Amino acid sequence: MSFRRKLLAVFALTVFISVATVALIVSALARQAFEKSEEDRTATLVAQFQREFNQRGKEITHRVEAIASSDAATRIAFSFNSNGKDYAPFLGEARYIAESQQLDFLEFVDAQGTIISSAQWPAKYGYADKSLPLSQPPPDAFLKKEDLPDSEALGLFSIAKVNAGDSSIYVIGGSRLDKEFIAGLELPVGMRAMFYENFRAGFSPQALIDPSGTLKDPQRIAGFIQDVLQQKSESTTLIHWSENAADDEALHAIPLSDPDHQVVGILLVGSSRGQYVELRQHIRSATLFAGGAGLLLAILLSGWAATRVTKPVEQLAHAAREVAAGNWDTQVNVGSTDEIAELAESFNHMTQELLAQRENLVRAERIAAWKELARRLAHELKNPLFPLQLTVENLIRAREQSPELFEEIFHESATTLLTEITNLKSIISRFSDFSKMPQPQFQLVQINDLLRDVVKLFQAQFQAPGKGPIQCTLKLSDAGQVAADPELLHRAFSNLVLNTVEAMPQGGNLTLLTRPQENSVIIEIQDTGKGLSQEECKRLFTPYYTSKTHGTGLGLAIVQSVINDHGGTIRVQSELEQGTTFTITLPRNLDKLQGDAKMTTHKEPR
Amino acid sequence: MKPIRSLWLAISLVLLITSAQAETRPHYGGALRVAIAEPLSSLDPADASNISGETAIHKIASLLFDTLTTLDRRGEPQPALATSWKSDFNSQRWELQLRAGVKFSDGTALTADSVAASLRVANPHWNVSAAGDSVVIESDTPDASLPAELALLQNSIALRTGGRLAGTGPFIVTQWDANKNLTLAAREDDWAGRPFIDSLEISIARLPRDEMLSLDLGKVDVIEAAAEQMVRTASTVTSAPDQLLALMFMRNAQSPEEMRLRQALSSAIDRNSLNGVVLQGTGEPAGSLLPNWMTGYGFLFSSSFNLDHARQTRAGANQASSWKIGYDMNDPIARVVSERIALNAQDAGLNIQPATTGVADIKLVRISLISSNANIALTQLATRLQLPPPSFHGDSAESLYSAESALLQSQRVIPLLHLRTAVVLDKNVHGWNENQDGNWDLPNVWLSMEKNKP
Repeated sequence: MSFRRKLLAVFALTVFISVATVALIVSALARQAFEKSEEDRTATLVAQFQREFNQRGKEITHRVEAIASSDAATRIAFSFNSNGKDYAPFLGEARYIAESQQLDFLEFVDAQGTIISSAQWPAKYGYADKSLPLSQPPPDAFLKKEDLPDSEALGLFSIAKVNAGDSSIYVIGGSRLDKEFIAGLELPVGMRAMFYENFRAGFSPQALIDPSGTLKDPQRIAGFIQDVLQQKSESTTLIHWSENAADDEALHAIPLSDPDHQVVGILLVGSSRGQYVELRQHIRSATLFAGGAGLLLAILLSGWAATRVTKPVEQLAHAAREVAAGNWDTQVNVGSTDEIAELAESFNHMTQELLAQRENLVRAERIAAWKELARRLAHELKNPLFPLQLTVENLIRAREQSPELFEEIFHESATTLLTEITNLKSIISRFSDFSKMPQPQFQLVQINDLLRDVVKLFQAQFQAPGKGPIQCTLKLSDAGQVAADPELLHRAFSNLVLNTVEAMPQGGNLTLLTRPQENSVIIEIQDTGKGLSQEECKRLFTPYYTSKTHGTGLGLAIVQSVINDHGGTIRVQSELEQGTTFTITLPRNLDKLQGDAKMTTHKEPR
Repeated sequence: MKPIRSLWLAISLVLLITSAQAETRPHYGGALRVAIAEPLSSLDPADASNISGETAIHKIASLLFDTLTTLDRRGEPQPALATSWKSDFNSQRWELQLRAGVKFSDGTALTADSVAASLRVANPHWNVSAAGDSVVIESDTPDASLPAELALLQNSIALRTGGRLAGTGPFIVTQWDANKNLTLAAREDDWAGRPFIDSLEISIARLPRDEMLSLDLGKVDVIEAAAEQMVRTASTVTSAPDQLLALMFMRNAQSPEEMRLRQALSSAIDRNSLNGVVLQGTGEPAGSLLPNWMTGYGFLFSSSFNLDHARQTRAGANQASSWKIGYDMNDPIARVVSERIALNAQDAGLNIQPATTGVADIKLVRISLISSNANIALTQLATRLQLPPPSFHGDSAESLYSAESALLQSQRVIPLLHLRTAVVLDKNVHGWNENQDGNWDLPNVWLSMEKNKP
C-alpha cells in the first residue's frame, strides 16, 4: 500500500470512528430515554388498572350490597330457612337478579356456604362452595377463581350478608375479569394489556386473554409466566416475537392474588419496542449518512492533504527508480523548505556525485580499454613485424656478404615478407569485423542442424595429429525451430567449439546439448578442458580479453554480441581442471519473422 | 213501596242468575288464539318429518283429520271413523266397517277407497283394499295391535287430490303460513258435531317468553309450554306424564366395566332433586321407559338415588369414564339437567362434561309419547332411542314388562324423568281438555261471552 493510501486510510478511519462513537452515544441516550418513557407509561397503565380495578370493585360491592338489602334477598332468606331448605323456588332467582344487576356471577348461599341459587351454575344448588371466606368476608372486592360448568373463570367478587331473623344467608356477586374488562383499559399507542388466568399447573395458551387478538405465539412467554408465578412478584422482560427486532415487546407482569394469597392471574402490560427500533434505525440511518458524507469528505480532504504531503515523497521515489534504471541525471524539484526539501536536495546532490563518479569511471575504463587495445595491437602487430625485420636484415646482409646467394635469398625473403604482410592484413581485418558486427536477419532455423554442421566442420581438428583426440557427443533433443540468423549463429557456435577445442590440447570430451523450452531453446556446450578461474569467467566475454597466449580476445565477445542481438543470454560455468560449460538461452523469436522468411532456411555460413 | 222494592229485587236476582249461568254454560262462537313453541312446516300427517319429529302436528292433527280408531285412557282402541272391526284368527287380516255419512272438508264423501288410499300413503307395506263400506288391511305377520296403530297420527285419513289436503276433522284450514301461523274454521257439518268456537288462530314456533308476554297482554288465549315453566301460573292445565327425559348412550357398552360405569351413573343421578328443583315437582322420577300410568308396573324399575352404590359400582370398574353429554340448546331445562347430572356423576367419581359442540357420548333426550297404547309407545321409544324393536309375546302386561326390561338391560338408555306438558289458559277459555296422547280436544272448548263480543 502506498504512503498516500495509508495516509488516506488513517484519515478515513479517524473520521469513521468519530462518527460511530457519536452514533453510539446518541443511540445509548435514546435507548435510556425510551426506557424511561416506557417505564413511565407502564407505571401509568398499572396505576390506571389499579384505579379501574378498585372502581370496578366498588361498583360490584355496591351492587351486591344493593341485592343483599333488597326485598328479594330478604324473601329468599326467610323462605329458604322456613321452608326446610327447599331449593326449587330459587332455581332461576339468582340468574334473574344477576341479569337485572348486570353481574356475571351471583350466588345466594347459606351460612355453611351451601348454594341456594346460582346464576353462573344453576345446577349447583345444594352444593357447598368451601372456598368462600364467609367467616371473615373481605370488606372490599377480591379476586376469586370461579368454577363454571364447562370451564373456569376469574372474577372480581364481593360478599354481603342478609339477616333473616335468627339465621342469615350470603350474597356473593361478581364480574368476570375477561377480555372486555381488559379491553376497557385505555392504552397509549404501542401498548397493550393481556391477562393470564392461572387455573392449572403449567402454562396454558388458552388461559391467556388478549383483547387485541394479536398474540400469535403465546409459548414465547411461557417461561416468563412461570417465573412470575414462582416469584409471585412483579417482573419485566423483553420478548422477541420474531426475528424482526421491531416486533420485540417489553412485558411487565403484575401477579394478582386471591384472599388466600394464591396467584390467580397475571396482568401483562406490553410495550412495543417498535418505536424504539424505529428511532434506533433513524439514528443508524442518520449515522450512516453522516458517516458516509464524513467519510467522503474525509477522503477528499485527506486526499488533498495526502497529495500535498506525499507528492514530494513520490517525486523522490520516482527519481530513485529513475536512478535505479540508469538515469543518473535525474533531479527532483521541491518547492517547499521543509525536511522533504532537504531530502530532495540531498538526493539531487547524490545523483550529481554519482554522475561525476560514473564519468570518471567511464573515462578510466576507456583509457584502460585503449591501453589494452594498444597492448593487444602491439602484441599482435609485433609478431609479424619481427619476421619482417629479420627478413629485411637478412636480405641486406646477403647482398653485402653473399651476392651469389642474394637471388635465392631474395625469393625466400620475398615469400616470407608476403606471408607476414598477409598476417598483418588478417589481424587488421578481424578488428575491423568486430566493429562492423551486422544485425541478424531472422529466418526459421533448425538449431540441431546448425550444431551438426558446426561439429562436421571441426571433425578434422578433433582428430588432429600431435594433439589428444577429442570425443564429440551430440545430445540433441527435438529443439524445434527458432527465428535466427543462421550465419551469425553458426559463427557464434563455431567460436565456442573452437574455444573448447583449444581448451583441450590434450584431448577430452566435447558435448553439445539442446533442450527445448516453451518459448526458447537451451543450448549447452561442455568440455572437459582445464577450466577457468572465477576471475576469468567474469571477464571472459570482455572484448580483447583472452586467457590464451594468442588470439585477439574477440571470439567470445562476438559470441555474446550475436546472442544478445538474438535476445538471448549466455553464461559460463567452469571449474579448474574440470571443464567449462557454456549455456545459451535462445528465444524462439517467431514474432520477428517477416514474410517468406518463415520458411526454414539452412544456408552455408558466410 | 215494599212490593215494588221486592219486585225489583226479584228481577235483579233473576238477571244475575241468568248471567252467571251464561258464564258457566258452553255456547258457540268466538275465535280461540293459541301460541305454541313447536315448529310446524307441513300439515300432512303422513309427512315423514311430522311422523318422526317433535312438531305441533301431534297436537292439532285431530282438529283437521280423524283416524279410524281412537285410544281411550287405557290405551284401548275405540271407534272413530271405523265403527267396528274384526280380524282373522291370527290377526293378519283386519276388516274395519266405516262410519256412514262422513264427508271430507271439501265435501267429498268418505269411502272405503279414499280410506284405503290414505292408509297406503302412510303405510306402503300394508296391503289395504276396499270391500264395500269396509276397509280390509292384510299383513304378512300377525299384528294384534293394528286397531291401536290406526289411532296413530300418520294413519289419519286424508284426501290428497292435486296437492290439496282435506280431512274429516272438526276444523278446516282457512289460512296457512308454514312455521308461522295457521288459522282454522269450525266445520258446520262435522260428523261429531260442530265445535263451540268459530275459529282457531295458532301462532307457531313462538319463544316461551314471547308466549307468556302475549298471554299477559291478552294477545293469545292459550299458550303451550313445558309444565315446569308453568308451575306458578294460574289456569294451567297439565297433561299426564307423556314425555320421557332420558340419557341415551350413542353406542353399546364395549366392556363389562363400561356397563358398570353406566350402572354407577344411573345410581348417582338424584332424580328426585331434578324433579323437585329443576322441574319444580311437575314430573315423575323414572326408572322405566313408559310412565306408570300407562303400564302400572313402572315403580318396579328403581329410580332411587344411591350415591354409595354408585361409588362402589364405579370402584368396581377398572376403567375411568370420560363422557361428553350433549343436549338440545332449545330445551329450556336441558342445560341445567345436564349440568346437574355432571355434578351428580362427579360425586360418584365419574367424569361427565356437558357439551353443545363436538361428538357427544351421551345425549339428553326428551321424547314425546305418540300413543297411549303401551306396546306402540314402547316401540316408538325404542326407535327414537336407537334400540332394537321390542319383542312382545302376546298382549299381556308381563310381555310388555319383559320387552321393556330387555331394552333397559342393554344399558343404552338411562330413564330420568317422565314429564308433563302444560297449557296456560286465559280466564275466558273454558272446557279445555287434553287427551292423554297429547292431542288437543278443542271441539269442547268454548269462550266466555265477553270474548265473543266484537
